[in-house]
Amino acid sequence: MQRSSRRKFLASLLGTLGAAAVGIATYPVFKYLAPSRSDERGGKVTIPRAQVGVGQARFFQFQGHPAVVLQRGPGVFAAFSAICTHLGCIVKWVPEKGEFLCPCHAGRFSSDGKVLGGPPPKPLPSIPVAISGENLLIG
Amino acid sequence: MTGTGEAQCTTWRCLPPIFFLVALIAWVSPAAAQTEETVCIQCHGSQPGQLGAPVREWRTSIHAANGISCHNCHGGDPTDVAMAMSPERGFLGVPDEKSIPGFCGRCHVGVKEDYLASAHGRALGKGGPQCVTCHGNHAVQKASPDLINPKDCSRCHDYGRAEEIKSAVLETDRRITELERQLLSLRHIGIATAEMDGELFALRNRFHRLFHSVDVEKVRSQTAGFQTELGKISGRIAEIESKLNRRKLWGGAMVALLVGCGILSLLIYRSYRKEI
Repeated sequence: MQRSSRRKFLASLLGTLGAAAVGIATYPVFKYLAPSRSDERGGKVTIPRAQVGVGQARFFQFQGHPAVVLQRGPGVFAAFSAICTHLGCIVKWVPEKGEFLCPCHAGRFSSDGKVLGGPPPKPLPSIPVAISGENLLIG
Repeated sequence: MTGTGEAQCTTWRCLPPIFFLVALIAWVSPAAAQTEETVCIQCHGSQPGQLGAPVREWRTSIHAANGISCHNCHGGDPTDVAMAMSPERGFLGVPDEKSIPGFCGRCHVGVKEDYLASAHGRALGKGGPQCVTCHGNHAVQKASPDLINPKDCSRCHDYGRAEEIKSAVLETDRRITELERQLLSLRHIGIATAEMDGELFALRNRFHRLFHSVDVEKVRSQTAGFQTELGKISGRIAEIESKLNRRKLWGGAMVALLVGCGILSLLIYRSYRKEI
């Protein structure tokens, strides 16, 4: 009788510790699989159309990172990450040439984000732009 | 016969790891492989004296470490011995002193811009320094404030003003170097740091551009902004480190729990054995 209650006690203790171990092991898995709060670093960005002239670019922060929107032709807008895909410097817009230039190692990107020259391995990631009345809705 | 079969089998077993190793080396060092193949290095690298010296110096440089080879600066065709130094293939040869900022500035665009606007740049061709004066040429190293020193600066002018600039940049540069070291440690344990690496590189580049202006007031006025940005990166690193410490704590708790479970299981098992 005494042995049986001791065994029960040990078994319940083992169950408690086992449950705690399972909890600790599964929490990171749950946290990894749970959907992240996508808007935690900012959602869409609204910029007045008038602030981006034809052939001009405007830099802004998108989800915590530098981005750029430009009007490539009348009414044709495009937005990109402004981070050079080589080593992470911020590109600048050269309106005279109609292209982006990275001041760190002279990476060049076209107005549609493609690599024109220099060391960047990939194009500038593009960001969707929609025209909403007098505003540009980016993201 | 069996012995041969076993030997063959062993050889075949060895092949996949060897292929894997070769592929891994090729993948890890694409820059080295790329630079070693050029005809410039093949030819000049084996020459003694002045003709071979640039290759020997270049091998110690940050350019070599990053896969920037002879033709990236001097032009020419690195795949054709006969045409390697032909102007038709874009060979530029050695630039004259006034052309050096333009030569280096084809890649280092931002630095060139700030240098040309500076007192150093305005004195180009009139005894003023150009890139090579401070950085050297083929043996160029990763830039640091150590380049500002009495021995080098005093070749042209008093060290006083240079010392002021050095003291203005030293703390920020030390902090950048420290953050680079912290990010490297995090990368070594498998933490994805690419985003922060990029931000820090961009910041370092902007900061190094700044002191090419050789304008101590400009450096001082902009340093606070750089320090703020560094503080943000530093905060993110501290957050990661704190998370790693929490993981270690929970990992330790998990081990203790598993040991506890093991002991309890053993005690239960023994209680059954005693009944038998």
